[in-house]
Amino acid sequence: MADQSVLSPSLPVPLSGAGRLHLSDAALGILLVTPAVLLLALLTLYPVLYGVWISFLNKHSFFPEQSFVWLSNYAAILRDPEFWASVRRGAVYSLSTIFLQIGLGVGVALLLNQHFPGRNILRAIVIFPYIVPTVVAVIIWKWLLNSQFGLVNHLIEAAGLVDQPISWMGRDWIMVSLVLVSVWQFFPFVVIGVLARLQTIPQELYEAATVDGANAAQRFLYVTLPQLKGVLFVIVLLRSIWMFTKFDTPWLMIQGGGAEVYIRTLPVYTYLRTFAYYEAGMGSAMAVLMFAALAAAASLYLRIWREEEA
Amino acid sequence: MSRSPRLWSASGSAVILCALGLLVFSAFPFLWMASTAVKPPQEIFATPPVLWPSRFTLENLERLFGETKFLTYFRNSLTVSFAAVGLTLLFSVPAAYSLTRFRFPGRERIATVVLFTYMFAPIMIIIPFYVLVRFLGLANTHFGLVLAYTAFCLPFSMWMLRAFFQTIPVEIEQAALVDGANRLQAVIHVVLPLALPGVVATGIFTFILAWNDYIFARVLLSRDELKTLPIGIADLYNASVVDWGMIMAAGLLVIAPVLGVYVFIQKYLIAGWGAEGLKG
Repeated sequence: MADQSVLSPSLPVPLSGAGRLHLSDAALGILLVTPAVLLLALLTLYPVLYGVWISFLNKHSFFPEQSFVWLSNYAAILRDPEFWASVRRGAVYSLSTIFLQIGLGVGVALLLNQHFPGRNILRAIVIFPYIVPTVVAVIIWKWLLNSQFGLVNHLIEAAGLVDQPISWMGRDWIMVSLVLVSVWQFFPFVVIGVLARLQTIPQELYEAATVDGANAAQRFLYVTLPQLKGVLFVIVLLRSIWMFTKFDTPWLMIQGGGAEVYIRTLPVYTYLRTFAYYEAGMGSAMAVLMFAALAAAASLYLRIWREEEA
Repeated sequence: MSRSPRLWSASGSAVILCALGLLVFSAFPFLWMASTAVKPPQEIFATPPVLWPSRFTLENLERLFGETKFLTYFRNSLTVSFAAVGLTLLFSVPAAYSLTRFRFPGRERIATVVLFTYMFAPIMIIIPFYVLVRFLGLANTHFGLVLAYTAFCLPFSMWMLRAFFQTIPVEIEQAALVDGANRLQAVIHVVLPLALPGVVATGIFTFILAWNDYIFARVLLSRDELKTLPIGIADLYNASVVDWGMIMAAGLLVIAPVLGVYVFIQKYLIAGWGAEGLKG
């Protein structure tokens, strides 16, 4: 299994020489796959289409009143300054976290690919923050970054870096804190993908490069990086989709602070419109816009990638 | 190698230094949580802060159990997560088996659609999903939440299991059929034992996703006695002046089961297999 790339699971293998299993059993095959397909259709694809329908309605989130309003939800959103502000905050949040995650993740993967004592344990420890509940990641960091009693403020004051405690959850720093927590939580995903790929790069390539006189930096640039291109492509795509739509980390960071408006990203604003203002139509329209923007960006990204490959 | 020994040790100690920095960055926050959870309350706010408590105490834990519904939340989380694992595997094992063993029209399309739905983020489907669950009368039930997790986990579960079934040669099954076993016997006695590690790993990934989820539980549950741990803890945090010792004790207990199953799946994760199971 080790040589199977993380993010590009293997393509279907033709079942050669298994003729008698296929033909007579096609019906059985369909029978076995149908429940899962039906469940997906009912609980994922249908809600997505239904969500598009809701976005054309003036609909309360709890009560059954609704009326068809054509595109007026979309028109209202595009005129809403808070929508654009949330798009800007979301862009700042997702771009900075993606950039830092990829940089840190690739660096850490390279480090964890070196030989040193305790490497396997360190690999396991580094990945761990990725699988803990977001609420735990957030409360740990809220405690560390607590302005009065937090360890981080204590350390940087003791080191003489600041005179005044920093208000990490205040308006000037809350985005920085949110980015820090998110990078800590999500960079292991990049480590997992890149490390798996690094382990499959043939050692001979490095030996040949060394014989040709390449130094470490050159070996990274001309041997490692081209090999990582494919996996980085997929990682950037997935991380972008998931950071752009990230709800729980910013939402939980917002709780219990006065500076919530400064990290009210688009997913948070969508949630608020739906479940705090009870405007399901508006919320759905924002979700549809989010989806459309992502689909457009992803297809553009795929096209650029294909041209690069060609 | 033409490197001099001195250069080796210099780059070697740089690696060790970076590794130590990384260890602190990744592990220390958990250590600090654990330390806070077992400290006497007055030491939690001591200046300068102390890492090693002067005495270990269970006071924070006692308050957590005595003054909050933590145990109810814990039981709810266990129920919902295990039910989600069971239901997900019930649907995905036959489906993945079918996608690797049978040829029928639309097979490849199903695989593509599955991969596509895998990219959906919860925030994009939560609103219509919520309306649907209310329409079905399943708001404020654990069953509604289990359905949500099953729908959410099914794509990656099918995808992972499909990759796993593909590694099991069809010939083994054919041999069993030739030996007179029927298909069900061949699956139970030949295929499933070989696929078991993959099924267990997939189940664990599903468990972690259900255990960690915040948004579905937040939207679908409002009754306090039904809440799962992530929303229970978030509400505990928001309820009043934060009792840091108690909150950290809660956090420690929430990650304990995750840490337990992590021991089993970390080798898959490090090999790079199964990471797609954890979207986040």
